[in-house]
Amino acid sequence: MNKWWVPAITALALLNGCSSVQRGSIPVVDAGTAVSNSERISANGGFRQTTVKRPTQAQSQNIPQDSGVVVMVPGGGATTSAPISSSPITPGPIIPGPVDSAPMQSAPINQGTYNMPSSSIPSASAGGLSADEQLDGPVLALLSTAQQQQAGGDLNGASSSLERAQRVAPREPQVLYRLAQVRMAQGDAAQAEQFARRGLTLAAGRPALQASLWGLIAQAREKQGDAAGAAVARQKAKVSL
Amino acid sequence: MTRTRSPRSAKKRPSGGLRSWLGWALKLSLVGLVVLAGFAVYLDAIVQEKFSGKRWTIPAKVYARPLELFVGQKLSKEDFLTELDALGYRRESVANGPGAAAVNGNVVDLNTRGFQFYEGLEQAQPVRVRFSGDYVAELAGAKGSKLAVVRLEPLLIGGLYPKNLEDRILIKIDQVPPYLLETLVTVEDRDFYSHFGVSPKSIARAVWVNTSSGKMRQGGSTLTQQLVKNFYLTNERSLSRKLTEAMMALLLELHYDKREILEAYLNEVFVGQDGQRAVHGFGLASQFFFSQPLSELKLHQVALLVGMVKGPSAYNPRRYPERALERRNLVLDLLAQQGVATPEQVEAAKKMPLGVTKRGSLADSSFPGFLDLVKRQLREDYRDEDLTEEGLRIFTSFDPILQMKAEASVNDTFKRLAGRKGSEDVEAAMVVTNPETGEVQAMIGSRQASFAGFNRALDAVRPIGSLIKPAVYLTALEKPSQYTLTSWLSDEAFSVKGADGQVWKPQNYDRRSHGTVFLYQGLAHSYNLSTARLGLEIGVPNVLKTLARLGVSREFPAFPSMLLGAGGLSPMEVATMYQTLANGGFNTPMRGIRSVLTAEGEPLKRYPFQIQQRFDPGSIYLIQSAMQRVMREGTGSSVYNVLPKTLALAGKTGTSNDSRDSWFAGFSQDLLAVVWLGRDDNGKTPFTGATGALQVWTSFMRKADPLPLDMPQPDNVVQAWVDSRTGQGSDANCPGAVQMPYIRGSEPPPGAACGGESPASGDSVSDWIKGWMN
Repeated sequence: MNKWWVPAITALALLNGCSSVQRGSIPVVDAGTAVSNSERISANGGFRQTTVKRPTQAQSQNIPQDSGVVVMVPGGGATTSAPISSSPITPGPIIPGPVDSAPMQSAPINQGTYNMPSSSIPSASAGGLSADEQLDGPVLALLSTAQQQQAGGDLNGASSSLERAQRVAPREPQVLYRLAQVRMAQGDAAQAEQFARRGLTLAAGRPALQASLWGLIAQAREKQGDAAGAAVARQKAKVSL
Repeated sequence: MTRTRSPRSAKKRPSGGLRSWLGWALKLSLVGLVVLAGFAVYLDAIVQEKFSGKRWTIPAKVYARPLELFVGQKLSKEDFLTELDALGYRRESVANGPGAAAVNGNVVDLNTRGFQFYEGLEQAQPVRVRFSGDYVAELAGAKGSKLAVVRLEPLLIGGLYPKNLEDRILIKIDQVPPYLLETLVTVEDRDFYSHFGVSPKSIARAVWVNTSSGKMRQGGSTLTQQLVKNFYLTNERSLSRKLTEAMMALLLELHYDKREILEAYLNEVFVGQDGQRAVHGFGLASQFFFSQPLSELKLHQVALLVGMVKGPSAYNPRRYPERALERRNLVLDLLAQQGVATPEQVEAAKKMPLGVTKRGSLADSSFPGFLDLVKRQLREDYRDEDLTEEGLRIFTSFDPILQMKAEASVNDTFKRLAGRKGSEDVEAAMVVTNPETGEVQAMIGSRQASFAGFNRALDAVRPIGSLIKPAVYLTALEKPSQYTLTSWLSDEAFSVKGADGQVWKPQNYDRRSHGTVFLYQGLAHSYNLSTARLGLEIGVPNVLKTLARLGVSREFPAFPSMLLGAGGLSPMEVATMYQTLANGGFNTPMRGIRSVLTAEGEPLKRYPFQIQQRFDPGSIYLIQSAMQRVMREGTGSSVYNVLPKTLALAGKTGTSNDSRDSWFAGFSQDLLAVVWLGRDDNGKTPFTGATGALQVWTSFMRKADPLPLDMPQPDNVVQAWVDSRTGQGSDANCPGAVQMPYIRGSEPPPGAACGGESPASGDSVSDWIKGWMN
């Protein structure tokens, strides 16, 4: 019983000489790699190139262009009744009311216990883009990372880092401004405009930032072939300043 | 059989007397050799083809969101430790090495493991987190340096398995923990490093044992043979298979060195069954039993895993802990005996518990509802083979802590309401999202959240009842020249002949009419009569248009009954609709997936954040304000029996005819949740939206402790003092004056001042104000 392998291995060794490649010359590869902490992305890979079909990297999925944005057209002074135009404006200009210089009511329904405590999400309360240094640690760190990635040409990475920043500080308009800038660089002017508009709704009391956001909207509209809308936005950029 | 026997017989009779016999034997053995050679060539091709190519297909792995840490972050220490436990962090007195954590009062020291993310590598590093209340107060790195933001590695929440349901996490041989290779060799194949694939010594031993006991008891299989058996052959037990196995083992050893063979063994070995899924390889086994990466395992854990190789089901440490412990200690003794570990080390290891993660803990839970959502989103972009074979890494927005809280809320509430007749047949579904990012964070598709199957969160399309009302009121509030929150509505009975020819005669839930009410009160108290009148006034098609702008893609006929929610939506669709209300009028397509990496860690695809402004922020501000009144004074007010009054929330109850569906949808600043309760056979339930779904929602919000709603006041909104009874302009100092938001220009003209009385004085406010203050 314990000797049958002797002739077998002799035969195989013989056969091996002509039938197979030498040991060591066979590329031995794995199809995957470890996850979790032992995450090591080896340079040579040792891995088979994946054959997964790469879906298109298009940033813009099918958000149907909506035609229902209602524009507030103030009818002159602050106290006159404002007729509401419900005509579709996309991709036309959005014309919000004039920038309110009056002090803001922080608690809209300011009765008794019914106040709305402000969120603890870090935010820079004053200043525009020049106020980077006023941002809190995590947001500033992530904006810097995104800046480096963008400078290195990694727009998807920059986008991803900015979305991370947006999750950390969802109401920081500077993050939305940067997201809009990166979307512009990625060639998605429609989304760039949307992010800038979202930024504007959160940028009360920060005229420099508002001007920058309007400036970006102007560029985005130009890119989308909306010259009139761009002109309106440029006008807004001046008013904000 | 005959083929392999012939060369032997040729050798055994070299001096056979008869020439003819010899000649025959020679010829026969020559033929045998040729046949054997052919067979060997054939086997050799198989051995090399499978071993040199892609050895395994790896199912896509799905990860939860990585937990982000930064100063000022809202995170309780308790939740943080739950996450660390799920990630398999060892609790030590001083955190030492990756995957270790030490807790001292409010300070947690840990060593993160590092991870490859879409946008880059997160380094493994020591981190100190100090908590203050439910916030992160300090985040420091090595030597006390301040850290801005740190990400933990994400929790693996599942995979996308192919039909054979084999799952594994590939490891490299240099990633194994100390003792693993020595223990494996000591227990399974002591001659591994010296034999050629088969071990005559152990075969002889096996033969001896088997013949003396009269039964097949011991296999003389080397590790190489075991690998061959699992890798290339079926489970059949026969001599011919045994011989094929031996030949293939020899061939394998001929081509590949010991380390390669051992590495393949480590990844191939079967170590357990998880329902339908077969757990292969020590990499996955380590995650499956200890929820730790293999490289971090200690001696006692290594001994358990190696001990299980002999009988993965017999020594399953979760099912047969005593038997598994006995086996583990046997292995440990063997290690001491063979000098692999010192007797002291072995004694210490034997004192350790098995250390497997508990069933029902975060580390050992499944989330079929959310994984179903992920699969559906992936199928739009990938072929099934890509998902089940290529080892893709799917990064999602899933928040395991919120999921556990959502599941606990459903369970707790059903337990509490168990006395209600018929509640046992009621099913549940829940969707939790972040309104500021449009990301799905948790999902429950069934009352038993761990049951895979009908995913009600995505597939139960049920009449939404009053959940539609915000769309009716928002349509009105978009015309500030006609409607404000304090416009008067009639809440009197009426009937109307619809386009479908049927007479429609809506009724209030309490079967009474409420005379004339403020517009916002119609929503807050969910009055059907005033809402239906308003909806008919502004036009059913316009309300349906609003619904579409809110993000509902389903088409409905413009019947008047639509105004009271006769149309059906799934909980996920409701979440999309309310998302737009919660996020300042910006619609965003709901996302469960953030990005996809290849097995090599290369970025493959991103699912970017996208938004689109659908409504003017001013009208959204007003509808949010009215939806806050729902919670303060209307049908949602029971929420403040449990939650603090400082927590501003907005939401809406929904109940379909005869209480067949109990809905609640609502949001805080950072959390949106939709709850549905109902029966699969569409029968009656004992719950309204307020007594059923809202109770689950409230329980969830209490556990999740969200941030209060705080929408910045848009430029075109003003606050005006109005008389709480008449809705006429008033003054801050007047009795009964309340402040209400209006679109600039639509507020009533200011009233005359009333003198020095303080408006904040409780005596001066009218009954309905008291109603929502108490």
